[in-house]
Amino acid sequence: MEINVNGKNMTVTSDGNTPLLWVLRDELGMVGTKYGCGKGLCGACTVHLDGEPTRSCSITVNDIQKGKVVTIEGMNTKVSQAVQSAWVNNHVPQCGYCQSGQVMSACSLLASTPKPSDKQICDAMSGNICRCGTYARIKTAIHEASTKIS
Amino acid sequence: MNDMEKNSALNRRDFLVSGLTGLAGLVVAFHLPVGAQKAFMAEAATPLAASAVPNAFIHIAPDNTITMMINKLEMGQGVNTSLAQLIAEELECDWKMIRSVSAPVAPVYNHTVFQTQMTGGSSALSSSWQQHRKIGAAMREMLKTAAANRWKVPLSEVTAKNGHVLHKTKGSLSYGELATEAGALKLPQDPPLKNAKDFKVIGHSMKRVDAAEKSNGKAIFGMDVRIPGMIYACVARPDMDGQKLDSFDEKAAKKIPGVIDVVKFRDNHIAVLAKNTFAAIEGKDALKAKWKDNQYSTASTESIYKELKEATHKKSVVAKTIGDADAGMKNASKQLEAVYEFPYLAHAPMESMNCTVNYDGEKAEIWSGHQMPTIDQGVAAGILGLKPEEVKVNTVYAGGSFGRRASKASDYVVIACHLAKEIKRPLKMVFSREDDMHGGYYRPMNVHRVELGFDDKKNLLAWRHYIAGHSVIAGSVFEAMMVKNGLESTVTEGVSDTHYNIKNFHCEQTRVYSPLTTLWWRSVGHTHTAYVMETMIDEVAVETKTDPMTLREQLLKDSPRHLQVLKILKGMTGWGKNKAPKGRAWGLAVHESFNTVVGQVVEVSIEENIPRVHKVWAAVHCGTVVNPEGAKTQVESSIAYGLGAFLYQKIDLKDGKIVQTNFDDYEVLKIENMPEVKVEFVKTDEPPTGLGEPGLPPIAPAVANALFRLDGKRVRSLPYLKGKTA
Ligand code: FES
Ligand code: FES
Repeated sequence: MEINVNGKNMTVTSDGNTPLLWVLRDELGMVGTKYGCGKGLCGACTVHLDGEPTRSCSITVNDIQKGKVVTIEGMNTKVSQAVQSAWVNNHVPQCGYCQSGQVMSACSLLASTPKPSDKQICDAMSGNICRCGTYARIKTAIHEASTKIS
Repeated sequence: MNDMEKNSALNRRDFLVSGLTGLAGLVVAFHLPVGAQKAFMAEAATPLAASAVPNAFIHIAPDNTITMMINKLEMGQGVNTSLAQLIAEELECDWKMIRSVSAPVAPVYNHTVFQTQMTGGSSALSSSWQQHRKIGAAMREMLKTAAANRWKVPLSEVTAKNGHVLHKTKGSLSYGELATEAGALKLPQDPPLKNAKDFKVIGHSMKRVDAAEKSNGKAIFGMDVRIPGMIYACVARPDMDGQKLDSFDEKAAKKIPGVIDVVKFRDNHIAVLAKNTFAAIEGKDALKAKWKDNQYSTASTESIYKELKEATHKKSVVAKTIGDADAGMKNASKQLEAVYEFPYLAHAPMESMNCTVNYDGEKAEIWSGHQMPTIDQGVAAGILGLKPEEVKVNTVYAGGSFGRRASKASDYVVIACHLAKEIKRPLKMVFSREDDMHGGYYRPMNVHRVELGFDDKKNLLAWRHYIAGHSVIAGSVFEAMMVKNGLESTVTEGVSDTHYNIKNFHCEQTRVYSPLTTLWWRSVGHTHTAYVMETMIDEVAVETKTDPMTLREQLLKDSPRHLQVLKILKGMTGWGKNKAPKGRAWGLAVHESFNTVVGQVVEVSIEENIPRVHKVWAAVHCGTVVNPEGAKTQVESSIAYGLGAFLYQKIDLKDGKIVQTNFDDYEVLKIENMPEVKVEFVKTDEPPTGLGEPGLPPIAPAVANALFRLDGKRVRSLPYLKGKTA
């Protein structure tokens, strides 16, 4: 079957019930999207599906159909650049394992809400767990990115 | 000099300089002059030949880029940045030209104190402070000498700056141009180290060298390693070591699309091999593997607490006695007893355990976030019947550890290697999140029973403290080193060595066998001892009608670092003048761990029966702060980790089985519950002490003390919220 990832159509042979996460990582070798829980509980596997933040561990390749998938590897917008440089600037990543998912969630928040309040940030980012506790800096960095893009 | 470090005098034998194949340029190796060929790495100590790659801390390439070989695991704490800063400060190089990579395994990279290559005990900076600066300084002197020789000018006329050697008439040469010549030179015996006032890199918040690749998905973790022909493996294991296999459904597993094979190994393990991780996990679940009952199959959280509580009433090993606590209790006009319960905890780092192995029957290569690579190498070699040097160990980024990857038994490396030996195919062995929470290694359960006695004027007369808990290190190679006369300091640390000046003090410890395997969990014994000490001191404050800050100042009057920390906290909060806003309360705790003192004041409210921590003010004495922003992130991280555990976390046993499975029933702190954190450091030129863990111990007792101000209840059984809340 074919799925569209980062603007390219890709042929995949994994079983159709395989979650997108594992097709990306194990079949397509795009390992920037991470496995944390496999149950939609941690957000490490967040990708964009037709622009919406989506847990790739909880959606099968069958379900993707004609949808357009964007992964951390395919992020290259004004928003993503602002987010990533704010991440570096504010010492956000520690172990870094959750950060692909954090960046994906932050980018969709800013795309839809360019000037988010603290509350809006918490609502949008609540599903993204960080065991290193980088939350306070994520908030600061999102605010910083927000001023950069406006 | 930092007493964490052994003397690190430089001599020719210990300091190898050589050219490098692959990385043209200069290699500086620094071999500690201590009996390194001990214990686990007798074989690995030999191959320090001149051309051997694994003997370097600094590679200078012709284009003047500098690669720092980092001998500690980057697991979030920032060693790839902070250790590079120590070398860079003395090397006088351009920070922008630096990159850091994880070192391979070689004795040259051993920990300066523990004499094996490892990361832990919040010791990365304290144990490298002299060593890494000397490495940088020696290199700088050699580069200067090479330039002076080329220019035929006296050494005193050249200076090193920003990756170049300069001379007032001859101009400048880059380090890259000088590297090969410098490598042929005699090693300077005692390179001068800078005074703290001249630091340009140390004490500055250099940006993390790994931040960009950890923001764009390019960073490679153990989970991301891919090798040609690799298959994926997921392994069914029992919750307790040594449980015999009962049954499993091989057919069901093989029906899962993508499953290649089912392999029984190590008596009680079953691996499902598959084309992708998902099929391996599904296959493993489909096995519905069962193990036979053992003598702990009736064990439960309740039965263990009962056993531990009883143990606190029996005579046990004395950890500390000051004055006469028994007499003090007898003379007391008021007595108070408190019993505390601390559950098992899982580390649950974001990246579950995994190990990739390439073994063809003759040699092997392994990949993981190795926290104890020398041990992992030795253990892998033992299993595969190879010499340690025949096992190439690749250390990649670790998605957190918090103690878990410093596995006493290299458990997941062992499983992967046994499986590799069985199937002789390149494989990646992955723990699913559920596997990671089961059959693993846990912060031990502990019970504390404390008795306080007060005289009729409400002065504290006596403190008797009984700790019954599971050992952290039983059954490991560390037991012989770390248990003295039946006392395990990793259980009593924080109580038996308390800084509080208590006239009549007595502490006893009973070590009780744990049915689950146990391990250090971020800040080890301090995870529970600080909680008991700091909440009990708060009770003393209430009982003696003394302000909690004032009481601590009185009882810590001989502990200058604690006093400095308290002073900063008073300044930050306006303690004594300011108060928490209506509906909120403040709580205070201060604790020393890993030679660092951290004090915290928290501002807390209770909303719909759930504590909400709004603010944390933290004051820290950790000696020289190498990277202030980086240091702050470690305090923030410790607060988030400790607060999550205080609020939500426990691993329960029921009928001998672990109850919790994933982040829904083992909750962690989320962004909406992260307090605002302000951190200040005591200004000092003392050598750095640890900071990966010491920010954690004070958070839970500080919150508990604030909660008491709000509802008058003492929290003695952790976690605060016993059930699912999300
Ligand atoms: S891995 Fe998908 S939400 Fe955790
Ligand atoms: S940075 Fe480590 S889990 Fe978020």
